[in-house]
Amino acid sequence: MTNKIWTTVGKPEQRIDAVEKSTGKVRYVGDYSVPGLMHAKLVKSTQAHAMITSIDTTEAWKMPGVRAIVTGEIFPFHIGPILADRPPLAFEKVRYYGEPVAIVVADHEHQAKLATEKVKVEYELLPVVNSVQQAFQSDAPLVHENAEHYTKIISDVYPKAGTNIGSHIKIRKGDFEAAWATSEETITASYSFNLSDHVALETRSVRVEINPAGKVIVHTCSQSPYTIKKVLNQFFNIEVGNILVHIPMVGGAFGGKGTIQLEPLAYLASKAVGGKLVKLEFDREEDMTTAPCRIGLDATVQLGVTKEGKLVAGKYTYHIDSGAYSDQAAGITRAAALDCTGPYNIPNVWCDSYCMYTNHPFATSFRGYGHPELTFAVERTMDQLAKQLNIDPIQLRIINGIKPGDTSPTQTVLTANNIGDVEKCVNRAKELIRWDEGQRIDSGKNKVRAKGISLFWKTSTTATNAQAGAILTFEADGSVNLNCAAIELGQGTKTILAQILAEKLGMEMNKIHVTMEVNTQYDPHQWRTVASSSTFLAGRAVISAAENALAQLKKTASIVLQCSAEDLDVGGGRVYLKSDPTFGVEMKDISLGYTYPSGHSIEGQIVGVGKHIQRHLTPMDQQTGFGKPGPWWSVGVQAVEVELNTRDFTYTILKGVTVLDGGTIINPMTATQQMRGGMHMGLSYATSEKFIFDEQGVIQNAGLRNYPMLRYWEQPAEYLVEFIESPAADGPYGARGIGEYGVIGAPACLASSLSVAAGVELNYLPLTPEFIWKTKKVNNQ
Amino acid sequence: MIAFDFEYCKPSSAAEAVETFNMFREQGKNAMYFSGGTEIITFARVNKLRADAVIDIKGIPECNVLELSGNLLVIGAAVSLNKITDSKLFPLLGQTVKKIADHTSRNKITIGGNMKSELIYKESVLPLLLVDAKVKIAKGSEEEIASLDAVFNKKMKLNSGNVLLQIIIDTSYIDLPYMSLKRTKISKVGYPVVSVAAIVKDNRIRIAFSGVCDYPFRSAEIEMIVNDSSLPENERVEKVLAHLPSEIVDDIQASRKYRAFVLRNVLLDTLSELERVT
Repeated sequence: MTNKIWTTVGKPEQRIDAVEKSTGKVRYVGDYSVPGLMHAKLVKSTQAHAMITSIDTTEAWKMPGVRAIVTGEIFPFHIGPILADRPPLAFEKVRYYGEPVAIVVADHEHQAKLATEKVKVEYELLPVVNSVQQAFQSDAPLVHENAEHYTKIISDVYPKAGTNIGSHIKIRKGDFEAAWATSEETITASYSFNLSDHVALETRSVRVEINPAGKVIVHTCSQSPYTIKKVLNQFFNIEVGNILVHIPMVGGAFGGKGTIQLEPLAYLASKAVGGKLVKLEFDREEDMTTAPCRIGLDATVQLGVTKEGKLVAGKYTYHIDSGAYSDQAAGITRAAALDCTGPYNIPNVWCDSYCMYTNHPFATSFRGYGHPELTFAVERTMDQLAKQLNIDPIQLRIINGIKPGDTSPTQTVLTANNIGDVEKCVNRAKELIRWDEGQRIDSGKNKVRAKGISLFWKTSTTATNAQAGAILTFEADGSVNLNCAAIELGQGTKTILAQILAEKLGMEMNKIHVTMEVNTQYDPHQWRTVASSSTFLAGRAVISAAENALAQLKKTASIVLQCSAEDLDVGGGRVYLKSDPTFGVEMKDISLGYTYPSGHSIEGQIVGVGKHIQRHLTPMDQQTGFGKPGPWWSVGVQAVEVELNTRDFTYTILKGVTVLDGGTIINPMTATQQMRGGMHMGLSYATSEKFIFDEQGVIQNAGLRNYPMLRYWEQPAEYLVEFIESPAADGPYGARGIGEYGVIGAPACLASSLSVAAGVELNYLPLTPEFIWKTKKVNNQ
Repeated sequence: MIAFDFEYCKPSSAAEAVETFNMFREQGKNAMYFSGGTEIITFARVNKLRADAVIDIKGIPECNVLELSGNLLVIGAAVSLNKITDSKLFPLLGQTVKKIADHTSRNKITIGGNMKSELIYKESVLPLLLVDAKVKIAKGSEEEIASLDAVFNKKMKLNSGNVLLQIIIDTSYIDLPYMSLKRTKISKVGYPVVSVAAIVKDNRIRIAFSGVCDYPFRSAEIEMIVNDSSLPENERVEKVLAHLPSEIVDDIQASRKYRAFVLRNVLLDTLSELERVT
């Protein structure tokens, strides 16, 4: 920290994509069309679990415009980000309703769609694994017969032979058994919720061509351009330099566009038509069921505590419904384990986190990466424990809040730099929600107002070598182009990076031009735009590139000004003498090299190059979980106030509060909106969203007709957002990641407020009036 | 997208519409009348509906009428739900149709289309059943006015090729005391778990239901029970539940038992509100 008054960081700068977006002029991947473009459509499984006995394409080939029909035999291999367990096209068997079985390529989209109906697929039905409970039983049918033989792409994944366990992550810290046995009070509670979906506004879409020189050119909406290169290289044997990935602005992702599904399919489709440009675009229904969705979870939490409310033992059993393939659910299984306790200091921790195969659509990352789910289980248990101990639920949380000097479940030592201030967040949230007015107040005939609170934390489990790079080039007017492979998916990352650069160069925002499109051929490598990591990783890379450019600017200027580079400072579009700022040179006069009146020129253009890589991260020990999985923990508190109608159990969310310690906040306005948007998303999930399966594992609400989401005007009338800014020493200007955090505590605090209002413990989602009614009824019997 | 090709016609009179329909039929083509188009489009894009031709009735002048004419309110079948609400000509109907779908969809959804919906709800029918509405139907070159009762039984029973042109309502019903209540799974926008419209006419409550059974209905038997003031309200409600015309719907919107719970509350609210004016 310096005493300098920042000029751009900490200011509510307007988003640099605001004008294009608000005028509707942004072109997303699906908006492009060119002559000769071919269209791919998928034949999808109508069964959740079955052997494919035959695929008859005879009639489909007779349809007009059909150029190719691709089936699973063409690529009978498995791919995946963590465990390679998924054939891009089902091969021999299908494992979920909606799974891609064949691709039809035709001249026009409607021709391809019509022809898909003519592909006749015969199935021999297999018993369906329709829940994690069923999947965990020892005699359950197997979704994967030989999961133990699948290739591990990342080390921390442990499929178990002869079971539906795709991975099992363990935390063993201290001596749980002994601490549990001597605990003065204990509580055990269970929770459950089904899979759901991201429902990003932009449905997934991709174009692929293989040009005559052998270059594979991919245009897609993805959070992971370099992973697409990796996957096409690793599994399809294409030289990595021959894979070019272009990503324009993305219309919402929420983790759902982090994994690689459409790109290999479109590649196979293009290959089948001689490399011609092929577009594959998902309808909303396909985007919800064929594409990966959000995990389901069954959780049991056991807490042991002293009479005074000090937590001494915690045991957490998480059964994560990963659906048919492990994808990122295997990573979420790990993330749920390593943060299993929530932001509480517990000396003795035992956690078994299982990634379970079922015959549901496969799950991938979703904003929060398992944390909204584990937070629901932990925070609901804390509330019930407070009641049991007769302690104020906030007091119980303050007593146990994690602090510098404590250790995380994986035994990472926490410091003032790598974790935010839990207690400050709690105290501020308590004021904002007016906790002291009372948690439950009668507010009229059949009306009760109640409040609920939830703490949360999360670290970003990036790859241990996750990194980002940035390149700065300069224009003749002294303005700067910023190239960086962080994807703009609505979170505002490009604006934040521009602010960091403007700050570092002492320039105005309007002198920074950020390349919105990402092109892997000229952008430096970046891990992925996930895990709330871009401000941290790309922000550091931008600072490093700026320092690199500043050194060059000073060098050129020192020659022009006949002084040493150390004598100079940069700001306001000039390089000037520290001791006499009136003596300097305009940046525009040196950005492309300096030319003397004689015509002689020196130094040439400024090209700033910078990079940043995670340091000191490790994988986790298989037996104990020991390791350092993430760089820092952001912590926060959310609270809501609801009004419940105690007669019919309908309710209104009156107020939502988020207090987050995200380190330095680079842009308070975009950060505030991000918290509001996150909370809205968490409340939508908690009130409305889940997939409903019939007995055959078929989704009953695979479209927005029957998949309710919280509407704009149904959100709380008031969203109060505040930040505690305990700076992270190694973050850019002290910032930590904040992207996912607004969503994490919302389901838990809503359930707690409604539990208090209704007088029953509500431990399932979504919190529909019918569910509250049913719980009341069961409770009264 | 809708993958199949279909012909589109927009006739300018009812007679021409019927003639066009018959022409397609003679050609062996499956034709459909098209009003707002929301259901045809959304069903066709997911292959739940197929047509060789659609005949748009929005070009027929009679279908676009929305006016008071003497002591009659005439509503064209192709008038959008939002127009009906905004006109404030029939508050009960305006309020009931305002609860269908969302605002953007209601710009397109028409009253005729909603009455002819393939879904089980058809909530715009509820007020019409209460006010003894009449409907004007084009049959060949003829036009006929029938009571809605005669052509609506669980759904609109029009002979193939006939067009619903207008709904006609006696204005003496319009200012009667009324109630419109809808309960959904969670949001205000959504299919009804229970939807009810009721009016008081000659000191008797008339009531019609949607979402309860798998069709909208008004029942003489239920109205007898509802108006039996010899029984306390809660007993009447229980009796209504025992005399529903068929089993209560059990689906992903709500379980059967929960629907019954919601229906009880809705009936109690309706009775206590309307009994004050009977």
